[in-house]
Amino acid sequence: MPGIGIPPLEKTIPPIVKRNYGKWIYHEVPRPGVLKHVAESGEECYTVRAGMPANGRVSTALARSICAVADKYAEGHLRITRRQSLELVGVPEAQIDAAIVDLNALGLPVGGVDHTLHNIVACTGWIHCQFAATGAAAISKALSDDLYDIFLKEDLPAKLKVAISGCVNNCGEGITADIGVIGIHRDLPRVDDEKVKKCEMALIISVCPTGAIRPKPPKSVQVDPNRCMHCVACVGQCEGMPIGDPVTDGVAIYVGGKSGNAGSGPNFAKLVIPYLPNTPPRWPETSAAVREIIEAWVAGAHKHERIIDWINRIGWEKFFEKLNIPMTYKQLDGYVLWPMSSRTGVRFHW
Amino acid sequence: MTTVIMACPTCGFVIADFTEEQMAAEERVAKRYQYLKKKQTLCPNCLIATKRLKELRGAEADEAKAAAPVFSGEILTPEEVEGFEEAEAAETPLLDELENGPWPSHVTELKKSKYHMMMYEEGMRLRQTQWGFGGYVSLPGVAAGILVRASARPDIARGANFMRMLAPSGGYYTTDMLRTVCDITDEHAYGLLHLHSAGGDIEILGIPTEDLEPTVKALNEHGFDVGSTSDAYRNSVDCLGMSRCDVALTDSMGMRDAWYKRYLDDVQYPRFPHKLKVRFSGCPNDCARAQQKSGIALVGVFRDLPRVDGDRLTEWVGRGGDMNAIVRMCPTRAMIWDGKSLEIDADSCVRCMFCINKCSYAIRPGVDRGVAIVVGAKFRGKYGPLLGKVLTPFVPANPPDYNEVFEIADRVADAFDEHARRKERLGDMIFRVGMDQFTEWVGVEPSPRQMAEPRTNVYYHWKAEELGR
Repeated sequence: MPGIGIPPLEKTIPPIVKRNYGKWIYHEVPRPGVLKHVAESGEECYTVRAGMPANGRVSTALARSICAVADKYAEGHLRITRRQSLELVGVPEAQIDAAIVDLNALGLPVGGVDHTLHNIVACTGWIHCQFAATGAAAISKALSDDLYDIFLKEDLPAKLKVAISGCVNNCGEGITADIGVIGIHRDLPRVDDEKVKKCEMALIISVCPTGAIRPKPPKSVQVDPNRCMHCVACVGQCEGMPIGDPVTDGVAIYVGGKSGNAGSGPNFAKLVIPYLPNTPPRWPETSAAVREIIEAWVAGAHKHERIIDWINRIGWEKFFEKLNIPMTYKQLDGYVLWPMSSRTGVRFHW
Repeated sequence: MTTVIMACPTCGFVIADFTEEQMAAEERVAKRYQYLKKKQTLCPNCLIATKRLKELRGAEADEAKAAAPVFSGEILTPEEVEGFEEAEAAETPLLDELENGPWPSHVTELKKSKYHMMMYEEGMRLRQTQWGFGGYVSLPGVAAGILVRASARPDIARGANFMRMLAPSGGYYTTDMLRTVCDITDEHAYGLLHLHSAGGDIEILGIPTEDLEPTVKALNEHGFDVGSTSDAYRNSVDCLGMSRCDVALTDSMGMRDAWYKRYLDDVQYPRFPHKLKVRFSGCPNDCARAQQKSGIALVGVFRDLPRVDGDRLTEWVGRGGDMNAIVRMCPTRAMIWDGKSLEIDADSCVRCMFCINKCSYAIRPGVDRGVAIVVGAKFRGKYGPLLGKVLTPFVPANPPDYNEVFEIADRVADAFDEHARRKERLGDMIFRVGMDQFTEWVGVEPSPRQMAEPRTNVYYHWKAEELGR
């Protein structure tokens, strides 16, 4: 409804933040999962960060319990971060232990600050999405269980962000993460002539990036199997073109994305493993691949070195070699922007 | 007063109505009309996709309005929504497995709500999504629309509607606010929150069609708004900025507030060729992922050098701070450190924030601060994921209205509006026309900071007027 907009800032931020808005001078991480910010006035603000259920799916029952904990320790305020985790801002120092106990009692692990695995971001996947090639939220849960020990400690070389996207639309931001798992389709959209008849043909044809969709008289379309890249652009435009196949869908692993300008600057993640099968409920192949990448990085990286900074130093060829990842034609880019990822010059790591 | 209505050609449902006077007086109404005229939309009533709307004027319109059907609620009837009880009784072995393990399980959360568990279980069993086609549906009063998603398994559930509630800046809630949202969700929907979706909004899932308007009304009464759908500005996302960050350069939360005050209409009245996202990051660390995700990224930057406090640095090193590790990782090797004093080479430093992040106790960001505008980042569309390109490296950020910044953002949106093809993202449009052309359209001074390096390409165009002809 027009005219309301977002809730007013003054009302939503906690009192300690209001008192010191814009006056913070440094921060420390006194223990895993806890941040300490110090203001000009000398006031100290402790923040306790907790992981949330995969995909940030929270029932109202859990949300109310979280509210009760926030009332008890954080003056009735809480914060949901950009990575779907929970923060209690302004917990008094003496009550941190109690707050952690109460959060753990709700099943929420405290951790994910600074040089460790941050909360895994996932899109909704098979919970409620028409495009999903994989159960992103389920993969997130499986990986979170598998990497639980890393999340609780704080002993990685640098930050580690993992994100799961259910399809190449990347709502789960897999392409931006240090390690991204992205659901991929490998089949063609199935054209239903009756339904396509009702849609706007020109739009279906024009959204196709490769021109793989052509008219099929009298009033339908056909998909060229040699040109289709399974990008799902047409699927969102017309009811008559669903995509997805139980046997051929799966996930791809991307490595080395990062959004900050520090170090090597912002970049998307790069394709490392072009296909792993969908194996619900726990995707063991994916889990194992992610853990291997993390272990290789931990073994090789300097302090403060994000995955992409480490790879930039040792070279992608060494990365593939260390992880024993088979090289296929798929990792070589063949789409419009391919020259951006092709190597020029003959400077190789051997 | 002559009324103009846009109605569904099949069932006659009125999707929008306004007067010609309104169209003459208000630019946004006129734009909305133009948009509806071009767009082929879903009818919320009969859900037949993409047919051109019927346009009626004057007496004909009044008649049609009187005869228009109200919601027939075809996509979801109350019985179907309540079908969750049967679904709950059925067995879900694959999902039960996901309740094990130390991490909090989303399956447990789903089970506590009225969500159709069998839709998910069948998805896991058949290794394929069980949900079907979806889209945006305009409601009276919610022009940008709410979302509908049909089901590929009508035997389990026939579909679910959901809407996006704009989250407060920085993600800060009072517990009262969150409880209110819980109450509304329990009453009208599945009783399930999505904290947050990728667009920084709460998705409220499973609202029966006849409950859509009451839900919007209930949210509005408590000071919440819905939106972030369709070919409009989507919900903007910010980092927490100065509220609890020691390295924030600009007040990203305040900027988002000002942005919403200025552009709320454009969030709720679609008028662009495709969606357009705006994100605010307080510093180059870009916690809002603006440079990777948003058409218009407003990133805080500083121009002078990081400020080093020698005494505090000595103290920090004395406490065991590892300065060598920081110096080694400086991307441009701009730090000169002899074990006692630190100097930063002005010509080498790129203000990337690395040293500041690692030792904010002694190294503080500079004070000459502003906003860099980076345009055209996106994930999907014709050319796939594209990073944002620098449009202008420094614009002063003056609270409370940030006029200088938003004026340029306005011109970016106008260029997009005017020149993009239908369903073409801003990033794809810039790729198609080139940065030279786009910068000219927006009308900012070209800057060497826009390029990674000058072009190698020797083919470039001179217009006749540039040659004085």
